[in-house]
Amino acid sequence: MTPVVEISGLEVSYQTDAPARRPVLRGLDLVIGAGELVALLGPNGSGKTTLLRAIAGSLRRDAGRVALFGRDLNEWSSVALARRVAVLPQSLVLPDGFRVAELVEMGRAPHATRWFGSSAEDAEAVQRALADAGALDLAERHADELSGGERQRVLVAMALAQGPELLLLDEPTLHLDIAHQASLLATVARLRARRGLTVIAVLHDLNLAAAHALRATVLDSGRVVADGDPESVLRLELIRRVFGVAVDEARTVDGRRFLVPHARPEIGTEPSAAGTRITR
Amino acid sequence: MTPRRSRILPLLVIGLLAACARTPAASSPPSGAPASTSVASASPSSAFPLVLTDDAGREVAIEAEPDAIVSLAPSNTEIVCALDACDRLVGVTDFDDYPPEVADVDRVVTMAQVDVEAIVAAEPDLVLAAGNELTSTTIINQLTDLRLPVLVLYPESIAEVMADIELVAAAIGREDAATALVGAMEGRVEAVEAAVADLEQPRTFYEVSVFEGTIYTAGEGSFLASLIETAGGEPITGDALSTSIALEDLVAADPELILLGDATYDTSITPETVAERDGWGTMTAVADRRVVVVAEDVVITRPGPRIVDGLEALARAIHPDAVAE
Amino acid sequence: MRADVAERPIVRGPALTRAALVLGGGVVILSAALVVGIGLGSVAIAPDDVLRVLGHRLLGIGATSGVSDATETIVIDLRLPRVLGAMVVGAGLACAGTVFQAVLRNPMADPYIIGTAAGASLGATIGIVLPLLLPALAIGAGSAWLGLGLVQGLAFAGGVGTVLLVIGVARSGGRLPSVTLLLTGYAVSSLLAAGVALLMFASGRALAAIFAWLMGSLAAVGWIDLAIAAPVVLGVFLVVFARWRSLNLLLLGDGAAAHLGLDVGREKLRLTMLATLATSAVVAISGTIGFVGLVVPHLLRLAVGPDHRLLLPASSLLGAALLVVADLGARLAGGIPVGVVTAFVGAPFFLWLLRRSRRVTGMISS
Repeated sequence: MTPVVEISGLEVSYQTDAPARRPVLRGLDLVIGAGELVALLGPNGSGKTTLLRAIAGSLRRDAGRVALFGRDLNEWSSVALARRVAVLPQSLVLPDGFRVAELVEMGRAPHATRWFGSSAEDAEAVQRALADAGALDLAERHADELSGGERQRVLVAMALAQGPELLLLDEPTLHLDIAHQASLLATVARLRARRGLTVIAVLHDLNLAAAHALRATVLDSGRVVADGDPESVLRLELIRRVFGVAVDEARTVDGRRFLVPHARPEIGTEPSAAGTRITR
Repeated sequence: MTPRRSRILPLLVIGLLAACARTPAASSPPSGAPASTSVASASPSSAFPLVLTDDAGREVAIEAEPDAIVSLAPSNTEIVCALDACDRLVGVTDFDDYPPEVADVDRVVTMAQVDVEAIVAAEPDLVLAAGNELTSTTIINQLTDLRLPVLVLYPESIAEVMADIELVAAAIGREDAATALVGAMEGRVEAVEAAVADLEQPRTFYEVSVFEGTIYTAGEGSFLASLIETAGGEPITGDALSTSIALEDLVAADPELILLGDATYDTSITPETVAERDGWGTMTAVADRRVVVVAEDVVITRPGPRIVDGLEALARAIHPDAVAE
Repeated sequence: MRADVAERPIVRGPALTRAALVLGGGVVILSAALVVGIGLGSVAIAPDDVLRVLGHRLLGIGATSGVSDATETIVIDLRLPRVLGAMVVGAGLACAGTVFQAVLRNPMADPYIIGTAAGASLGATIGIVLPLLLPALAIGAGSAWLGLGLVQGLAFAGGVGTVLLVIGVARSGGRLPSVTLLLTGYAVSSLLAAGVALLMFASGRALAAIFAWLMGSLAAVGWIDLAIAAPVVLGVFLVVFARWRSLNLLLLGDGAAAHLGLDVGREKLRLTMLATLATSAVVAISGTIGFVGLVVPHLLRLAVGPDHRLLLPASSLLGAALLVVADLGARLAGGIPVGVVTAFVGAPFFLWLLRRSRRVTGMISS
């Protein structure tokens, strides 16, 4: 089976005020297969969001190759890409005045065949997307009336309306409360199963990743330093080395593992393999 | 270059060309310099139709002797009335105040806004406009596009006023009246010139207005400046375009005589208040108490038949001993 | 799980009826405005005389025996082009305003915001002053002809040229970030406005003409002006209307729109240039009439929602009607600048509507 995402030697850097560009991804390799649920983890500045954006095709690459569904990103038109790849943004901002149904319909834009109005296929896709995202009851509401959690559901529906095979999530839990965080990721996992999606999510919360992801890819200074199932990847030593914080692990009654920073985490510099870094 | 850009350039060119290519409704382009006024007439009794060249260099065709005249400037109105054709006026401006008969004529210009509809409704066969944007080019074009004969008058000297009187006379068939009027005017001008001939010319500053710190006077090379010269003074002039003069420059020019033209309209402007102005006290005119209230600003600045009244008023103000009442 | 709700969210059912109502209402309002605008003016003309003239000259029916030449001239040569001009300018400004508000995602955007007004003003001012400085420009044909054509042409060129400059400066790496565009537009506009002020100071007699142009007026709109501006406005409207989806998508934000397949940089450029073309064309014939391009889209967004499929035609219709009525008001009030009337009429109404409605604009929600 063709891997969904194939990255080799990816280098991305940002233009700053300094004469030299600041490198973010330094020769990164990664392969993600169909149906995987991957959490991209790493400290601030490690490049995980940049990596996601590179996969989404929103960044210029300095070097290296990114291929989606077997085809080099350079050969994809933005419309063709939008038909198969959906991005769930970080922000919960939605334009005023639209009804939820109309917003979700915008997700059909890459597939739009009729110039004016929607086809039966579009209408059905919108219906299904709303249902799958648990947002059917919101369909006639206006975007500005919604709470954070409701907006998240709408955004999920909008992404699903695109009928994607690959779903990219950019720190989707940033603005959500604990209940909605869990609910979102559970939904995503469920959808992965039901729609056969491949999901790549940038997460900052290690425990969430451990609870929901099937694979954890840890980045540090623009390179992959660990990759595999969350249980084996998120070892204390790695976390201390990469994130610069000492954590303890614990188990819930039913055996789920979670990580907790030390009672008084050191705030200051911590030596690590990649050089000096300031801990959170 | 995106496809959009390559489509813009031709559109730009078309837009420019189309905008510039207005087809004139009047006849062929005139010959001769803009400032000259040549009166073409078939015979001394000026038979119609005829073609005249106005002060803007436009050739204007007049089919028959006009009996419905619209005037867009007080000076033009005065010319028509001086030629004894006041009864032919069907539209004037709200600034027209002389002669008194004019009060009964419909106003087609209010607060400098020209009501083209009202002009058309009056069905004139001659429109007398003012040049140099006193009547805006837009309005002149509009009227011409409506096939109304528009004569643009813009005299910049007494001689040109007289030429304009003759031009209007030709247009309305009152040449004899013009000859008499112009002759009388010339006589009075010569009298003034003779009276001031060998007299010393004081540096004369004519105050048109002072507004928010900006001083307005006769512009360099302007009609007002030439009037002052003819009246025996040496005019201190301001910038030709803006007609303003900086206080510093005025002080440096040091007028020997200040004529308060704005006192005609504002009685609070007196030699005393002028002397109190900051920076004005050093001027010779103020020190010598040669600051004079002028009550005839209207005729001094209106380029019509009464301009000679204005000239005489100026001469009296500049050389009170030499010029009799 | 298939509920009845949201079956065909946009175009069928109640939404279509509403759209038809709104647009139909707009056409009715515009028609009424046209009738009133042609029928009334500073000179009183009997309504059936107006109809007789219109019928005879436009449709070839009836005769105008009882009507004087002057009346016919007033209706056909003065009022008709002016009223139609108001329609075209109002529609153009409202359409352009709608586009700019979407492209810039800024509720304060109006058609002039990225430099069109400043550039056109400078062009027009140069066009007014130049023949006075260089009488040689008034070649033979007299400054009258060349003078006016020069003003319009330079205004148009100024408007378009300035936006091209602003875009050129604001663009980087194929992207056209809205904030950069706005700020660059502001900076360039300020610079050009200073140029205009300088010319005004040095303009002498032409000051009145410059000022009149800046205030904006439909007094000088003739058939030639219409012949140039109307096709541009209509063309721009049609092309922009066809791109309604892009406009809606842009409201989601540049990133989200790109992820939905929109070539954001190119599309923003395209839409900006189209709106600028329309704006420049109408400014060239009427000067800078304010308020219409800013408020009409807002008004309509409050009334019909932010979907551009409906918003664009509705805005254009209402903009046209508003300006026709405003121009009539300006004419009846003694020839005051029409921009004054649009402000007096539109602003209070907008405030009232704003208070009434819970939903504010159509822009980014909190």
